[in-house]
Amino acid sequence: MTRSASPKLGAYSGLAALGLLAALVLRLPELVLLAAPFVLVAAVSALQVRAPRIEVEVELDRERALEGELLDVRIQFGPGDGAERVDVFLELPRGLEVEEGTNPSTLRLVEGERRLLPLRLRSTRWGAFRVGRIHLRTHDHFGMFRHEAVVDRRQPLKVYPTEQVVRTLLRPSETQVFSGNHVARQKGAGIEFADIRQFVAGDRVRHVNWRATARRGELWVNEQHAERNADVVIFLDVFAEARRGERSTLDPALRAAASLAARYLRQRDRVGFVSFGGTLNWLLPSTGARQLYRIVDAMLDTQIILSYAWRDLVVVPRRTLPPQALVLALTPLLDDRAVTALLDLRARGFDLVVIEISPLAFVVPKRGEMQDIAYRLWRLRRDAVRGRFERAGVPVAVWNDDSSLAVAVEEVDAFRRHARIARV
Amino acid sequence: MALALLGAIGVYSVVAGDRLVAAVAAIGGIGLFITALALVGRWATLLPWGFVGVGAAYAVFLALRTGTVDPRGPLVAAAFFAAAELSFWSIERRNWRSEGQVVVRRLALVASAGLATAIVGGLLLLVTSGRRIGIGQEAAGVAAAVLTLAVVASLARRSRDSAST
Repeated sequence: MTRSASPKLGAYSGLAALGLLAALVLRLPELVLLAAPFVLVAAVSALQVRAPRIEVEVELDRERALEGELLDVRIQFGPGDGAERVDVFLELPRGLEVEEGTNPSTLRLVEGERRLLPLRLRSTRWGAFRVGRIHLRTHDHFGMFRHEAVVDRRQPLKVYPTEQVVRTLLRPSETQVFSGNHVARQKGAGIEFADIRQFVAGDRVRHVNWRATARRGELWVNEQHAERNADVVIFLDVFAEARRGERSTLDPALRAAASLAARYLRQRDRVGFVSFGGTLNWLLPSTGARQLYRIVDAMLDTQIILSYAWRDLVVVPRRTLPPQALVLALTPLLDDRAVTALLDLRARGFDLVVIEISPLAFVVPKRGEMQDIAYRLWRLRRDAVRGRFERAGVPVAVWNDDSSLAVAVEEVDAFRRHARIARV
Repeated sequence: MALALLGAIGVYSVVAGDRLVAAVAAIGGIGLFITALALVGRWATLLPWGFVGVGAAYAVFLALRTGTVDPRGPLVAAAFFAAAELSFWSIERRNWRSEGQVVVRRLALVASAGLATAIVGGLLLLVTSGRRIGIGQEAAGVAAAVLTLAVVASLARRSRDSAST
């Protein structure tokens, strides 16, 4: 522990010295009485000063939590030396707030006794945190000396983003070869009726279409569309974000990404993840609950890193973007590099959908004629970017904090229903 | 509370004295003003100067006073010490609430220290009053005072150093 003297010690010493000098010079015994307690307190404190031995442990009630959930932290003091006053401060990262309890707090430790300091935290933001760094400061009885120490008992805590409600999912235009929940264009074993054809040896009797057979006088059988899975790639644009206080466009983007990944994985699709920005992060498409955890864990490490380097799709590993995959891009459309990369994806024939995380709620236009014109030009420029995507046959749905993700997905679905093939 | 105690000492110095009352009041007033300023601004370095001012007013009052020692000296010393403790407590940069037990114990400590100052001071005055002091005793007193000051000075030097244990 690091020991330091408080300003009080110097002040008391000075007052005592001055009082005694004045008593000597003026021959006033009353001034000795005035100075005596200051001398005594300073001397006794200096003689008794020692570094206390404090054992402290931190316990988290769990390692994983959802955004907005409560979690309990227990700061346990072992049976060490006592301390008259101990200031305890648990360092909390941004995204965790104290819901119940006091942090920092001042308490008294009795020698040889255990002491528990419970805190209830609320996770206000997703992220991967390490909680348990404690700052301790002990004071003696008169607060003349203090001892400070930092105890590192950090433990990992992962706060996952909350899931957004998505009623229907976007259907990919092309499916893959494995069985899944999407009705494929190809004929095969399935439920959805596709066509009828003449019976051939090996066809099962249950597939015979008796009405067609009776009308034509020969055996005809039903054909079904195969039910296949799809490859979905969540493409997260992390070049830039619009931020206002604690909120930024990255937060809803991550929530949407986690929700969409969970929903697609639940229906046996292969889901991959690309975080494209100042740093590149990717996960190859795969299925199952483990993939969901992998994706969410990868998302937790996502952050906006300012970079002026030009990046295009060349840096993305080819296996990350399998052919005929549905690419769901979540972007605030703030950086030209992301826009160019997405248009490049479309030009390469990927089935691309853009969900724009609207930055308008995070931007406050400044007052003034020029500022107003600049703001309007910026918005027009954003409309123009949106137009470029639409001309390339890419649906762009604008998602605000006010509306639900389901609305944005429905908007894209409607666009795709009425869209025609575009040549780019 | 600290200001009230210091104010009481200042008022006592003015009311109980009969010579140069305006000067005593002015010195005490300056001391109180400096203390109030230090408390509001939370300046620990300024705070002792306020106490020096109030103490100086009391010293001037004592110096101008005729007769025996001030019988209320121990009470003044107790109030002065309690005021110092409370002042330094109030300028601590702590914007969170302490445990109730900690606050109660600290208040009890300040009160008992003040009480002890008053009792011990009263006893000391009782023992020393009416005694004739020879030159040898006076020399011993000066030596003791110098020794005390040396100890205080060494403590003050130590207070500037920080040690890792």
